[in-house]
Amino acid sequence: MLGRVCAIRIFQAVPTLLGVTTLVFFLLHLVPGDPVDALLGETAMATDREAMRRALNLDLPLLQQYVSFLVGLSTGDWGNSIVDGRSVLILIGERLPATAELAAVSLLLALVLALPLGYWAARHAGSTRDFAAMSFSLLGVSIPNFWLGPMLMLLFSVILGWLPVSGMDAPGSIVLPAITLGTALAAILSRMARSSWLEAMSSDAMRTARASGVKEQVIWWRHAGRLAAVPVVTMFALQLGAVLGGAVITETVFDWPGLGLLTIEAIQRRDYPLVQGCVLIIALFYVIANLLADLLSLWLDPRQRHG
Amino acid sequence: MMNPTVRWSLFLLLIPLLVLLAAAVMQTDGHAVDLDAVFADASMAHPLGCDALGRDLLARLAEGLQLSLSVGIAVVCLGGVIGISIGMFAAWMGGWLDAVLMRFADIVLSFPGILLAIALAAMLGPGVENLIIALVAVGWVGFSRLSRAQVLALKHAPFVEASLAGGSSVRYVAVRHLLPNIAAPLLVEASFGLAAVVIGEAGLSFLGVGVQPPDASLGTMIREGTRLMLVEPLLVIWPGLILFLLVMAVNLLGDHLRDRLDVKGGHADA
Repeated sequence: MLGRVCAIRIFQAVPTLLGVTTLVFFLLHLVPGDPVDALLGETAMATDREAMRRALNLDLPLLQQYVSFLVGLSTGDWGNSIVDGRSVLILIGERLPATAELAAVSLLLALVLALPLGYWAARHAGSTRDFAAMSFSLLGVSIPNFWLGPMLMLLFSVILGWLPVSGMDAPGSIVLPAITLGTALAAILSRMARSSWLEAMSSDAMRTARASGVKEQVIWWRHAGRLAAVPVVTMFALQLGAVLGGAVITETVFDWPGLGLLTIEAIQRRDYPLVQGCVLIIALFYVIANLLADLLSLWLDPRQRHG
Repeated sequence: MMNPTVRWSLFLLLIPLLVLLAAAVMQTDGHAVDLDAVFADASMAHPLGCDALGRDLLARLAEGLQLSLSVGIAVVCLGGVIGISIGMFAAWMGGWLDAVLMRFADIVLSFPGILLAIALAAMLGPGVENLIIALVAVGWVGFSRLSRAQVLALKHAPFVEASLAGGSSVRYVAVRHLLPNIAAPLLVEASFGLAAVVIGEAGLSFLGVGVQPPDASLGTMIREGTRLMLVEPLLVIWPGLILFLLVMAVNLLGDHLRDRLDVKGGHADA
């Protein structure tokens, strides 16, 4: 049963993937006017313009460009960077580990912070402690990461001198970017944990457990905890993808040489094939993370398999 | 007695409002370069000091704040109208039209919102109009899915069928009967949406694909301030603080609306 439902979900993701690649393809063709003008300037020599046009496949009819784009994607030919002529996939591959490292540490940090906070708030719902925990959560979702980053830098690197300002070579350099990226996630997850725990605790099953004399601690963790875990785990998996969007800004702030910074550098240099590749790879990860979230919640919550 | 959440929200808005008010009273030009006032400290003429070009920080903050708010409201209104129309239309028509429109919405949702906005704004080129287009292109989806779900639930309600049987046109039913009934969750979506758009606008401008210098946006001011952080930290502290207070106040109002209107779910992720 589970296998069949999972297979259907995976199959359903295929048209989404195709849609995403189509949208990314048309992004490149959105450039107002001629992208060659944007790249070379209107005063460029006709021969240069023609060469650039050929390099970008812009001399072909749109449909043909689209088909060759799809064929290229599936055969691993994602085009070459206009700036240094290297393969887009290789450039992305070089930057991927740095982003993976940052994302992993941020997500871990978010989880370690959010679960106890959500539990604490739920356990003391309605009290000052709940208010304090949820104020932190509101703070976390409201603080823009492109401001939180510089503020942390100012305090911990400039004033206190404890941590490096930017880059990823010095020891401890991941701390500030991870906090910057992880704060919003921690805030969202802790809200989620609190509300799901409270909802689980108000269910009939917990009332029955309490009436049969099960210890409060056991009810909270063993029984309600399992119920509450479903939305939290789903949200966590969703955040796996969202964190890549946040990484674009965080990596720019801290000069962290990952995929996000590569995207912004490509945009600044008008390196369209590279922009296309970066946006596509992040979107693909996002779709996969969403699928993973879907499958995880199916696995955790048998009720959904019959939905 | 005012609700404590609303009171907190208004309290948070106090500093941004003071900035707007003070700038309106002072009438200083935020674009006027004064090389004698480079990094000037706070004074009567420049209550918050000056930036690296001797421009009045207060005036620029007020300009950035106004821009954030106007872009935010424009995007939420445009995105709302487009999204709600598409969502209601899809739910009402059903069939393949509904399927196509919602698959398209799914595809837009398959991107991290900020990334799609960055890519769109970068491709369209700098400027406030393109910034608004990019943010609307991402922002309509939430409204359309929400309104679709709501209309699907109400489509066969007795009051809708009675009105149609009584000879009302579909448009009349949609505007006079359906819309008021689905307004509560949409209002909550709009308030969280406003917070997200305000952060989004500043984020795009921070990355250099939104508002361009010399125009002031809170995002461009944070970007410029970050570069000069070692010399004059206040240049990055002020615009971020104003942005943060504004977003937090709007999120609080959204929370309040959600509880007040008893809307289940909702989100506050920006």
